[in-house]
Amino acid sequence: MATHAETDTRIRLRRSPTSYLTTAAATILLGLLVAWLVVNLVKSPSYFFTISFIGLTNGAVYALVALGYTLVYGILELINFAHGDVFMLGGMFSATMIISVFNLSAHPSTGPMIAAIVVSLAVAMAACGVINATIERVAYRPLRGAPRLAPLITAIGMSFILQDVAIAWKGPSYIAVPQILPTGRVFTIGGTHYKWDKFIVVVITVPVLIALMWLVQKTRQGKAMRATAQDRDAAAMMGINVDRTISFTFLIAGALAGAAGLLYALYFGQVRYDTGFQLGLIAFTAAVLGGIGNLPGAVLGALCIGFIQAFNEGLRWHSPGSDWTQSIVFSILILILVFRPEGLLGERTPEGA
Amino acid sequence: MSTNGGVVLALEDVRTSYGSIEALKGISLEVREGEIVTLLGSNGAGKSTTLRSINGLVRPRSGRIVFRGKEITNAPAHEIVRDGIAQSPEGRKLFPRMTVLENLEMGAFQRSDRGGMAEDMERVFTLFPRLAERKNQKAGTLSGGEQQMCAIGRALMARPKLLMLDEPSMGLAPIFVERIFETIVEVNQQGTPILLVEQNALMALDVANRGYVLETGKIALADDAARLRENEDVRKAYLGET
Ligand SMILES: Nc1ncnc2c1ncn2[C@@H]1O[C@H](COP(=O)(O)OP(=O)(O)OP(=O)(O)O)[C@@H](O)[C@H]1O
Ligand SMILES: [Mg+2]
Repeated sequence: MATHAETDTRIRLRRSPTSYLTTAAATILLGLLVAWLVVNLVKSPSYFFTISFIGLTNGAVYALVALGYTLVYGILELINFAHGDVFMLGGMFSATMIISVFNLSAHPSTGPMIAAIVVSLAVAMAACGVINATIERVAYRPLRGAPRLAPLITAIGMSFILQDVAIAWKGPSYIAVPQILPTGRVFTIGGTHYKWDKFIVVVITVPVLIALMWLVQKTRQGKAMRATAQDRDAAAMMGINVDRTISFTFLIAGALAGAAGLLYALYFGQVRYDTGFQLGLIAFTAAVLGGIGNLPGAVLGALCIGFIQAFNEGLRWHSPGSDWTQSIVFSILILILVFRPEGLLGERTPEGA
Repeated sequence: MSTNGGVVLALEDVRTSYGSIEALKGISLEVREGEIVTLLGSNGAGKSTTLRSINGLVRPRSGRIVFRGKEITNAPAHEIVRDGIAQSPEGRKLFPRMTVLENLEMGAFQRSDRGGMAEDMERVFTLFPRLAERKNQKAGTLSGGEQQMCAIGRALMARPKLLMLDEPSMGLAPIFVERIFETIVEVNQQGTPILLVEQNALMALDVANRGYVLETGKIALADDAARLRENEDVRKAYLGET
């Protein structure tokens, strides 16, 4: 009972007079943002749509990686710093499959292209899933009872190790992946063609997201994951094998990173040992923006960042430009965290988690 | 030595430590078929630790725990649950972001007999109509007493072969305390042995067949419940008499 009263007062305190000011400020900012977008749209619709498609495509890749951070954080409250590097390895596996196994060069015919994409996707997802689960087994599980800082340090260590492995395997420079995606148009809007290379990113991302939601919401394994995330001891008391559930979560997170790795390699056409560091940071930010631990939140956060980045770097009328992208993304993150610490979709739960 | 049926659970000289603190200093106890056994003792005596040692959440340093003829001393917690031990733990440990209904379903996680689960769900809702009213509410937003009911209901949903309850009357209004004790007796009469930790020693000894009194990690007394009720030391220490 007491906790109820406390929560109530806290919520009421948050609605103090300053919140009107914040609401007003937020409204004005959003208004300016919408106005800026509308002017850009009116001035050059075709350009606006081109940029939007880029935002959507980038956002989709970020989403797959962000989900891995959020899944792992949800179950272990651990930021898996090595996650971005697992994604990078996914890109390398894909590049290897396309270049060395399928021997494809730019613009192959449809049959080999589809075969290469499907097989590379399977290989990248499986390999990254296993790698991620192995990382958990060797680097995090032995530290389950240790202070929080310990697994955080090993996570950073694993990140460096994976990068070094990538350098040893592929060298320090970019691997160019041939442009195998078709560039024909899917449809045209406002004079802009939405092309197959971007569409394929979405075609692969959407079913993966739906499968993930189904897995977490509807299956027995998903139930075990949610229970373990909320109370590990209680989950064990229900007969859930907690260690196996955590392994499974890392496997899924790794598989998502593998899928993202393939899409990145196909769409951006190059991978390097540090690709995962940069993209990982963006994806992690997306997960926090959306509410870390919340799956739809990670997707929303990723799309937001994808669009912010694209609009900022691409729109012509009064856009700050690419030099400002990081500052803008992180300013938004800071603002969100100050006024809504649980992120866009994170729950304000009674126990304060 | 067992007069009322076989031994379901036996602890032999179990020692459990947290770091360098020895919480259990050699506990031996038994629960037999059809029994309610109560574990009494003041705060910090080691009652909850005994239950946690049994269901595998902490590992004993030494000693043996045998459940229905199988040694479970070092078995992982989830296997012990599958063997048939369910617990309503201290502090309830509900899944806060799941609804009451989902929490109860989690209790039956390792079962697959849908018919039996539906039956048990009905039984829990009959015992605690309040839970039926709140079944779509998130467990984290329940009142303390409602959470306690949910935790007990969740343990019952496992249809366990041994039910362990850690202070089930904690935080409940007197009317619900009575209902909990009625439930305990009813579940027991349907054939489930129960290991009951209680602060409310009077009521616990009322329903129990036997009792153990724990003092700083050791068993100080073990006797029939009726005789424990008459014991001078017990009356002084736990039944509030001078
Ligand atoms: N996680 C822990 N780490 C360190 N010491 C612990 C831990 N849990 C319990 N203890 C200690 O072990 C002893 C026994 O605790 P336990 O919780 O078993 O007591 P209890 O009999 O259940 O008490 P209460 O009636 O207050 O619930 C206490 O001295 C306690 O401080
Ligand atoms: Mg206790």
